[in-house]
Amino acid sequence: MTRYVIGRLGGVVVILLAVCLFTYLIFFKLSPDPAVMICGKTCTPERIDSIRDVLGLNQPILTQFWEFLQGIFAGRDYGSVHCSAPCLGYSFQTNESVWSMITARLPVSITVAVGAAVLWLLAGVIGGLISAIKQGTWWDRTAMALALGGVSVPNYVLALVLQFVLVVKLQVLPFPSAPAFADNPLLWFESYIMPWTVLAVGYACLYARLTRANVIDTLQENYFRTARAKGLSRSLVLRRHALRPALTPITTIFGMDFAGLLGGALITETVFGLNGIGKMAADSIAKNDQPVIMAVTLLAAFFVVIGNVVVDLVYTTLDPRVRVTSS
Amino acid sequence: MTATPALLEVEEVGTPAPAGGPPTSTRRILTTITKDKGALACVLFIVIVVLMAVAAPLITKLSGWGPYQFDSAAINSDLGGVPHGSLGGISGNHWFGVEPQNGRDLFARIVYGARVSITISLSATLLTGVLGVVLGMLAGFYRGWVDTVISRLMDFLMAFPALIFMIAILSSLPAGNRPVLLVVVISAFGWPYLARVIRGQTMTLANREFVEAARASGAKDVQVVFREILPNLRGSIIVMTTLAIPGYIGTEAGLSFLGVGVSPPTASWGQMISSSVSWYSVDPMFFVIPGTFLFLTVLSLTVLGDKIRSVVDQGEAA
Amino acid sequence: MKKSTMLVGLAASAALALSACSGNATGSSQASAGPGGPAADGGTVQVLANAAFSHLDPARGFDGGVNNFYRLIYRTLTTQGAAPGAEGTKIVPDLATTTGTPSDGGKTWTFTLKDKLFFETGAPITSADVKWGVSRAWDPELGIGSPYAKQIIAAPASYQGPYKSGDLSTIETPDAKTIVFHLKKPYADFGSVVAQNTFVPVPKGQGAGNSLDSKPIASGPYKISEYKPGATLKLVRNDKWDKSSDAVRAAKPDGFQWTFGLDPATIDERMIAGQGTDADAIAGTVQAATVARIQTPQLKQRTMSGLGGCTTYMGLNTTKKPLNDLKVRQAIEYAVNKQTVRDAVGGSTLADIATSIQPPTVAGRVDYDLYPSTDHKGDLDKARALLTEAGYQGGFTLTLDSRTQPKMQAMAVAIQQALEPLKITVKINPIDTSTYYEVIGTPSQQKDMAITGWCPDWPSGATFLPPLFDGRNITAKGNSNLSQLNDKGVNAKIDEIANLTDVTAANKAYGELDKQIMALAPVVPLLYEKVLMLVGSNIAGAYLHDGFSGGIDLVSVGLADAGK
Repeated sequence: MTRYVIGRLGGVVVILLAVCLFTYLIFFKLSPDPAVMICGKTCTPERIDSIRDVLGLNQPILTQFWEFLQGIFAGRDYGSVHCSAPCLGYSFQTNESVWSMITARLPVSITVAVGAAVLWLLAGVIGGLISAIKQGTWWDRTAMALALGGVSVPNYVLALVLQFVLVVKLQVLPFPSAPAFADNPLLWFESYIMPWTVLAVGYACLYARLTRANVIDTLQENYFRTARAKGLSRSLVLRRHALRPALTPITTIFGMDFAGLLGGALITETVFGLNGIGKMAADSIAKNDQPVIMAVTLLAAFFVVIGNVVVDLVYTTLDPRVRVTSS
Repeated sequence: MTATPALLEVEEVGTPAPAGGPPTSTRRILTTITKDKGALACVLFIVIVVLMAVAAPLITKLSGWGPYQFDSAAINSDLGGVPHGSLGGISGNHWFGVEPQNGRDLFARIVYGARVSITISLSATLLTGVLGVVLGMLAGFYRGWVDTVISRLMDFLMAFPALIFMIAILSSLPAGNRPVLLVVVISAFGWPYLARVIRGQTMTLANREFVEAARASGAKDVQVVFREILPNLRGSIIVMTTLAIPGYIGTEAGLSFLGVGVSPPTASWGQMISSSVSWYSVDPMFFVIPGTFLFLTVLSLTVLGDKIRSVVDQGEAA
Repeated sequence: MKKSTMLVGLAASAALALSACSGNATGSSQASAGPGGPAADGGTVQVLANAAFSHLDPARGFDGGVNNFYRLIYRTLTTQGAAPGAEGTKIVPDLATTTGTPSDGGKTWTFTLKDKLFFETGAPITSADVKWGVSRAWDPELGIGSPYAKQIIAAPASYQGPYKSGDLSTIETPDAKTIVFHLKKPYADFGSVVAQNTFVPVPKGQGAGNSLDSKPIASGPYKISEYKPGATLKLVRNDKWDKSSDAVRAAKPDGFQWTFGLDPATIDERMIAGQGTDADAIAGTVQAATVARIQTPQLKQRTMSGLGGCTTYMGLNTTKKPLNDLKVRQAIEYAVNKQTVRDAVGGSTLADIATSIQPPTVAGRVDYDLYPSTDHKGDLDKARALLTEAGYQGGFTLTLDSRTQPKMQAMAVAIQQALEPLKITVKINPIDTSTYYEVIGTPSQQKDMAITGWCPDWPSGATFLPPLFDGRNITAKGNSNLSQLNDKGVNAKIDEIANLTDVTAANKAYGELDKQIMALAPVVPLLYEKVLMLVGSNIAGAYLHDGFSGGIDLVSVGLADAGK
């Protein structure tokens, strides 16, 4: 097991390095000269050159990449300024340390992701369970039809509709503003409930369909029938024997979805004006702020890759069959 | 979520690899669908949208307004360019009303927008389909280093925050041919989700008796792959690609919504929704019309894909 | 020389609005006074903004968004007046006792500092600190803001700012109160130059690297108490600032609070609703979609409108075929339908139609229209006739560079439509906003046409026409002469005006030069965009300042009732 974990973590490092290098190369090739952008409107070639020097842009690309990596683990110097590890550089736009930009915004993204995850897990799994138990009834059919609808609404459309109805027309909610929980718990909740809902709807619908399908499959498995035949009550068998195998695949998918969200819900955060990682990504892209783009890409990839490993580990403990094969 | 085809395909993870029954016949899919009213309605709507896309120039000739034509008389310049009349200027002249600030005909723009949605999503589906099936089969059939290389590539691509990366790439690329760029970028991040499933199924199939029999009788690798394995993957491919189309329509609209989609004056539903954002309280129809078309198109395709899947699943279970 | 990207930034950050009391006001006096009423002492003015400030370091920041804001935390040798209309664009003393004393035929300028000037640290502001601040403009990393100090003040060619190159000998500080500038050549309007952001004092020896961008050292009435870049900025009183030393800044409120990163539509909704602290809020120009919603008497009462002081125009690249033909350019002047261009930015409430290069806020500007058409909708017959004369009746294709920003795209599409009947196919070349100016400022990359804007750095022709049309200023990078016009007559006239020592006469001459240039049709003036702001009901002391692209003058705005 330990060897397996170490092996996986090695893979993680390789993938992250690859993501890093690829992103670095792409933007190095595609983007306009950052020195020209920093230099501004009245710029002389000498000034561009000295800026390129400070940023290390005159070195070969691989050297630059190496310095970038060094910055993350050991810190680096830009001219007279020292940037201590973990150093992701400074924003071309605001000169802010990218690391501090991330730490300032991550709590918002985490709040958005966790709240949405709680919502969609509850709604999706419970809805799916009920549908499976009441398979074929009007409840089942309606719920599954709604779920298809929910999967089909683009989230920005849903976000705009909710904001228009709840905030502008009915005025039951304020415009989202991402306040601290401690300052005003009610406002905090009112601010986040719309983003949570918007993000949760699509996932909840998928999870409901998935849970339903899995539970129905399990109900048809032999061990389940055996347990019923032994005279155990249906609800007991459901709880003891159907739920766990039915929900195991959900764990996998949930881990990946949740990890994906931690890297920033770009559209939702942008539409609601929440200052999280997603909005930072959108803003940095709009301004071609390469160090920030690099950092958000890396961060999001980091969450996805780590999420992958965690999911596999959890999966092996949850599903005995996998445990046998992996050992 | 608009940008992650993964979401729609993720369900595949939970379903067991097919038992390798007889390939589902297209006819059986058709008969099932024609018996289902809901599915029929979806087919009908999709046919309408496709017709709109194909016959766009003809249709707008009938309606009288082209998609790029300004109609200054239809908007009120003193009030920020809001359309004259109620419901966003819906009239016999402009069937769906007009766009604020320039008076372009919304009906014509919806019709031309369908072209963009359909072309881009179909091309992206085709490209992901080819990439996903070929690479997935290669990995599953040859195993060994081929599998390692392809699987690592898939891991790598799936680790990317696709949406962020797509926007970043699209906004820094020179304008060029936007639709082609969109298709390439969407497909580049989309194919691993299909390839992963195909790879798994190919692995199972490659060990089956009929494949081994074919090999024993001297068939070449190419023949085995295309004659024996590919036909057995047909069900999965049909299901996954039908479900991918609405995903890509959503992705295209999402990218246009974020301002990196097709460039003006080309009409696109996502871009219409994006420009309607600031107008929704004054001119809700400007938002409602493209929003409804986008939603219904995605819904119809999803429902249809879902139906096809259940038919295929039943076929395989039989 | 700021391009009107700034307009966008400004809309977001420098905008201000006032609010009408939302029903529950308990008999406070401001109910009918409106945004222009007298401001009370105290309270906090809220600012809702989309775009964050570019830089807090005055050597770096240089756009409509920060220039106005800088006056709250910084002072300069001179500054613009604090009043609506022409009074606001008049240069008045700030740190200095006068607007400067020239000698040596205008080549040497001397300023004397007032008494009782302090930084927020309590340290006195000396002439050495002013010199230190100015010399930072030569630092290649820092001096990306206002270019005037570098252009006008003499300096060794190798000088790279105080941190790298040490002392700058061409600025003398004979004593703690006196500062003497030696210029490259005589400059009549140097009193206006020292109002630029680069003349903000910085304590000698400090301000290296990025330090001022995160922690400015205030010399004005406020200092920064909390700054989360991209999210919020809080200003509180700088108690070391002495009111008696400052005739410009009313500085009534106790503080300011900026919230950045808000969606423009959300800002409008909040301003219309005006609930809670939004009654104390100001914001940028409203969205076109909001215009129809603020027509009620209550909302109209807290609406402010005026010209932005910039010109939006389309440059015609005179080096490209067939735009090198004057007749073709004139045909385009006639053909453009300025009504549809105006609708694209939000109609008559958000822009006036432009016919001359300089906007009405520039002193000495003349109103004329060399290429008239009914209601400015374009005269296609005249255009066709000119094209036929030039031999282009069969049409041709032009490429129009445009920013990937909805408003700019909308204008580009309007131009495209207007030229279509002439069989001129306009291809729109979308360029990412972040690189737009870099591309169009590089003659080897710029295409046939480009839509952009220009705002004067102070409202005189000197900062408008020469940078845009002096043919000897065409550079390989960072070029602002988009039409690449290099006309002997125009160049000669520019030199002639530059030698005038009387600023008023010079401005008048620029008005005439404007016409002379338009006869050559190097640009199509499109719009003079307006600001239209909705302010909170409790806002008072607000007026639009012509010197800050029509933003609400932040040093005068306050709350009607500070206790609410």
